[in-house]
Amino acid sequence: MTMNHRRSLANRSNALKSTGPRSESGKRASSQNSRKHGLNSAPDFESSVEYQKLVDLIAKEGFSAFVCADIATGLLNYRRVMDSYYDTYTSPEPVDEFTRDMNVKGSIPIFRELLSPSGSKPQDVREMAAFFASMQRQERRKGGPVSRRCSDTHKLIRYQRNAIARLSRAVRQG
Amino acid sequence: MLYNVHFGIYVDVAMPVEDKSKSLLPFLSSPKLLPDESEAEFQSGLQSLLSELDNPSPLAVALVSQLNESFWWIKRHTKDKELLLHEAMARLLSKAGSYSETYDNRKVSEALERYLDGRAVKDEAEWIDEILDESKLTLSDLRVRAFKDAARHIKMVDDLIHRQHQTIRHLQRSIDSIDYKSRLIKRMDLELAALESKQSVKGALTLDDEPS
Repeated sequence: MTMNHRRSLANRSNALKSTGPRSESGKRASSQNSRKHGLNSAPDFESSVEYQKLVDLIAKEGFSAFVCADIATGLLNYRRVMDSYYDTYTSPEPVDEFTRDMNVKGSIPIFRELLSPSGSKPQDVREMAAFFASMQRQERRKGGPVSRRCSDTHKLIRYQRNAIARLSRAVRQG
Repeated sequence: MLYNVHFGIYVDVAMPVEDKSKSLLPFLSSPKLLPDESEAEFQSGLQSLLSELDNPSPLAVALVSQLNESFWWIKRHTKDKELLLHEAMARLLSKAGSYSETYDNRKVSEALERYLDGRAVKDEAEWIDEILDESKLTLSDLRVRAFKDAARHIKMVDDLIHRQHQTIRHLQRSIDSIDYKSRLIKRMDLELAALESKQSVKGALTLDDEPS
């Protein structure tokens, strides 16, 4: 049995032990992992027109074919991350101004009125107020548009770090 | 022949090295700027970086344009830090006193922004002063409290700026290595030419020495 085969079997058996996220909120969050920026998907640069042009251009600078391919991939990958960085920065999650600015305590009579036709108890009104207060806390914790765009782009730091390290390595190895 | 290098860079490969930089400038990048940002300022930063290149090869130019973008991001994020403070100040003010029910956050935020920039009209400035009085705060007190409130997000922006610094370091090293490589190739070319000329002189001498 080769080393690679043994390693792949070990990886598979270890993967069976992995349970992934356990809580409902964890499952919900991880189910959206690849949907926000698409940077976790494997890109296919080699079949793009830009890639070939870039490789030809770099080859004229005296790099070997292998290094040219590496640099072109690194450069295109870095651009992909930075484009996504810009998109994330310019389209943050919108602020729900109604929830953020509502006066929960002042709205209790309205809740009471809303719930009265169904014969609600005071406990129900309190629960409704507590629910809105918790939504408001969550909304306020996220902050305004500037805070949101900063925390959204902050999540892309690791992609940027990997992309620039890969590009820099490719250029310097040439 | 002109090549478009995906992010808007066009390079004339057949052109002599010293003219390449000049020819690249008009074609360089269609930058993704925000509505309130100046493209002229962006381009002038790029041109000043390009003018420092000893050997403006297509790859060096591509790396320099990434470098310029990183500097631009640092500028943006530095501005964000101030905006975060303003945002937190507005949030604190809108919660102050009885105004939490009367005025919404956005209105206070916009008025405060103009007040801090010195662009507020008399009524607006008076209104902000009134809210500050009501909440028993001075502007510097408010700023300190806002800083405390926004500390988590300010730390995030600091991380973003730090990341750009690291990126710049990587790009500088890459540019240096290309520059060194091209200088090395030039030097080897010269040495090879010198060796060849030496060899040909020697060959001529040995031919002369042979008896006819």
